[in-house]
This record gives sequence, C-alpha cells and structure tokens, in this order.
Amino acid sequence: MYSVEVKNLTKKYKNKTAVDSISFTVKSRELFALLGVNGAGKTTTIRMLSCLSAPTDGFAAVNGHNCIKNSDDVKKEISISPQETSVAENLTVRENLRFIAEVYGFSKEKIKLRTDKMINLFNMHDIADSRAKTLSGGWKRKLSIAMALISEPKVLFLDEPTLGLDVLARRELWTAIESLKGKITIILTTHYMEEAEKLSDTIAVMVGGKIAAMGTLAELEKISGQTGLENAFVAIAERSADK
Amino acid sequence: MNRISAFAKRNFKELLRDPLSYIFCLGFPIIMLIVMTLVNESIPAEAGMTIFRIDNLAGGIAVFGQTFTMLFTALTISKDRSGAFLVRMYASPMKSGDFIAGYIFPMMLISIIQCVVTYTAGLVIALITGVELNIGGLLLSLICLVPSSVMFIGLGLLFGTLFNEKAAPGFCSLVISLGSFLGGIWFDAESTGGVMLKICKVLPFWYCTKTARSSTALKFGNDEFVIPLVITAVCAAAVTVIASLAFRSKMKADLS
Ligand SMILES: Nc1ncnc2c1ncn2[C@@H]1O[C@H](COP(=O)(O)OP(=O)(O)OP(=O)(O)O)[C@@H](O)[C@H]1O
Ligand SMILES: [Mg+2]
Repeated sequence: MYSVEVKNLTKKYKNKTAVDSISFTVKSRELFALLGVNGAGKTTTIRMLSCLSAPTDGFAAVNGHNCIKNSDDVKKEISISPQETSVAENLTVRENLRFIAEVYGFSKEKIKLRTDKMINLFNMHDIADSRAKTLSGGWKRKLSIAMALISEPKVLFLDEPTLGLDVLARRELWTAIESLKGKITIILTTHYMEEAEKLSDTIAVMVGGKIAAMGTLAELEKISGQTGLENAFVAIAERSADK
Repeated sequence: MNRISAFAKRNFKELLRDPLSYIFCLGFPIIMLIVMTLVNESIPAEAGMTIFRIDNLAGGIAVFGQTFTMLFTALTISKDRSGAFLVRMYASPMKSGDFIAGYIFPMMLISIIQCVVTYTAGLVIALITGVELNIGGLLLSLICLVPSSVMFIGLGLLFGTLFNEKAAPGFCSLVISLGSFLGGIWFDAESTGGVMLKICKVLPFWYCTKTARSSTALKFGNDEFVIPLVITAVCAAAVTVIASLAFRSKMKADLS
C-alpha cells in the first residue's frame, strides 16, 4: 500500500496556480523529498496533504484515507512541522511536548515515556525546563519537530526542517531524521541539495508548481545527463523553465 | 475531553506566565477600588452620592475586571492565529469545539480568581471605612457573575477571531470604556435617568453591574436581580454562540 497517493493535485489562488496538476506516490516508510526553489509550491503541496488546505482539483490520500472527505482519519495518522516554527512560547520544552501528547490522548505513563524519548532523541536535556521563548531559533526548530514526532505519526511532514540551523545543528538534525528512516513515512521539503541527497530515498524536483522530474539520485542524474544532485537539479530546472 | 483539557491547560499556563495579565486582571481592579474609595471619601455626605461607596463599588469593579478578561481572551486568540501555532494544531485531531472550550474555560477560572481578589480587597476596604459588606452576598455574587464573565469572554473570543493582533485590543478598549461607563460602574445611571438610562438599558453591561450590586447586597427582587440576571445570561449565551460560529467559519476559511 502507498502511504501517500497524489493524482492531478492542483491548487489555484485567485490569479496564481501554486500547484499545477502533480501526481506521485510515496511507499510506506519511504523518505520522500520535495526539492525546489522559493515559490515552487512545496509548502502548498504539504498543506494539502495534511488537510490544512483544500485542493482546487485532483485527488490526495494518506494511508488510504482521502484528504478531503476523511480528513479526521488522516489527522489521526499524520503530524506536521510547519515551515515557520510553531511552539507555545510560554511553555517549557517539556510542557510543549507533554501538551501535544495529551492532545492525542496518550496515557500518563506513555506521555512521560514519549516526552523523555523526544528529549533524548533531540538532545534537549539541558533546555528541557526552559521556556520556549528563551530558546535560540535552532532549538525552537528542534522542539517544533519533536512536537510533530511525539504523537507517533505514521506519516510525518517536515517543511524545511533545517531552515535557519547552523552547520552543526543541521547535521544533528539529519542524524535524528536518519534514525527515523524505515520506521515511518517522511515527506520533507528543502532547497538544500545536500540535504535531499543525504536523506531521501526518492527526490521530486518541483519547478513552478509542477514536478519536473522524480526518482532516486541516480535516476535524476541519468535523466539530466549530469553528475551530482546540484548539477542535475539545475539542468532539470532550466529545461522545464524553457518549456 | 483530553483535547479540551490539554488545550485549556496550555492557555491557562500561557496566561499565568504573562506579567501583563497580573497587572490588568488583578492589579487594575484593586487600584480602581482604592482610587474610587479615596474619591468617595472626598465627596461630602450631603451630596448623597453613594455610587463609589464600597458596597456599591465592589460589584461594579468586579464587572470592570471582567472586561479585561475579554481583552486577554482576544489577545490570546489573535496571537495564536497570527503565528503558526494554530496551523500545527489544525492538523491535529483538535476540533473547532475543542479550541473554543479550551479558550473559554481557563478564562472563566481567571475571572473567578479575579472576582475573589476584588471582593477580598473590597472587604478590607469595608472594614477600614466602616461600611457594612455582607460576606454571604459576596460569595453569592461570585456565582451570579458567571454569566457576565461568559459574556465578556465570548466577546473576547469574537474579537480575537475576527480581528488581528493589532486591531483586536482596540475594539476591546472601546468595549471596556463604553461598557464600564454605560454599565453604570462610574456613575449612577438610575438617578441620572433620561436618555442616558435608556441607552444603558439597551446594552447588556448595565444588567451585569445591576446583577453584581444586587447580589452583593442580597437584594433579590425581580427588577433588581432576577430580570438583570436573566438578561445577562441570555446575552452571554447569544454572544458565545455567535463567537463560536465565527470561530468555526474562520477555521473553515483558513483551511480552504
Ligand atoms: N494563500 C496564498 N494566496 C495566494 N498565493 C499563495 C498563497 N500561498 C502560496 N501562494 C503562492 O503559491 C506559490 C507557491 O508557494 P509555496 O509556499 O507553496 O512555495 P514553496 O515552494 O513552499 O516556497 P518556499 O521555498 O519559499 O517556502 C507562491 O508563488 C506563493 O506566492
Ligand atoms: Mg515553503
């Protein structure tokens, strides 16, 4: 079964087509990257898949649940870490994590277990009892991602997870994301080639609301006749811009 | 249920950790109690003006304090809406009803705490100035003020839903000044009479104050207590329903 199924998915704003009839599937427990420049339509795609935005046209399903008709079923199995960091500013790291676990109705023991696990996974021991508003941007981002993960989602959406992180923090987060590989399905967006190259099983290159090419790194290299993701990306992007 | 309690807990903590909520929700009513008592002391007895005497003042200030819970409800909601926090919560199993209840309950708790503080300060002032103030009446008034607290929180929910972080406080200030004036907190609307009283009686605020004053004074007549209480309760229900519908439709629009 596919974790994510998208067919001719389209989102039009007044005079702008943000996502233009895209189709793709993501297998269960795969890490799928949407790679594209600013305004390519990555966030819009993720929003439609996580029931935050209604498609203008087309079909989208997560774990077999229709994103429009059965959004309640979809919401039980997904989590999203939005592009903008989103945490409760006056709560501590631990309280933020517990809050989400409580929303999902976990038992007392499980709330504690999952909270500790997230603090471990993201190395947040030293800041566990600091209020979110006192954290640096990078730590907030990690908390925001931990909050998405604590609910044990089957499908996790990460919208530019490493935006604004320094080199070290970025590597650390990559390690955390890699440790999830093969356990849950992850859809992440990025404009960092290195990130897509390092983490993903499949890469979809988005240009102007369309998927210009899709496949493993080797496949993208073959399609574009270039070596390295960066060269492949530039070739694919230029070719589809010419069309 | 756990969704509502989790969200309510978060909102309660956010409020308790914001120093502004202490200044406005607790500090301001006490300061007004003291200032108005001093004003009252300088009014000559022959003037026969008792609006600022603590037995009249306590109930009025309790309602005045509630107007600030409206401001804080509106601020909390408009802030949540402007950031990405609600976006994340919209993708969770939280329903619009969970959000609404989760915003209203902690504010009601704050409102009750605020009222207890105001009445305790009122009792102290009554002891100092030698005015009689019935403790039973004050306790009863805590319960009788629940409808008006719901009404102000409902208004906060409405403003926070409809307006952004910058505009919402403006609308709240308007209601705070107009409401406390036309609610007859700062002047004796009944002995003023005329057009002024008519205007007061068209708006719900006057009935909130009336309920507060009558209950603290243990006066339970139809005109002074029952009718104002019923009117306040009906307004509270109406405002809450309207605000909930607004929140629901705004949430739907955000997700379109
Ligand atoms: N609510 C909206 N109303 C109108 N246009 C929108 C709206 N949201 C997005 N767009 C437009 O849709 C296009 C795609 O935006 P989107 O946010 O999906 O891009 P993105 O790939 O996530 O970009 P970035 O890398 O900058 O985050 C952009 O041109 C954007 O201006
Ligand atoms: Mg984006």
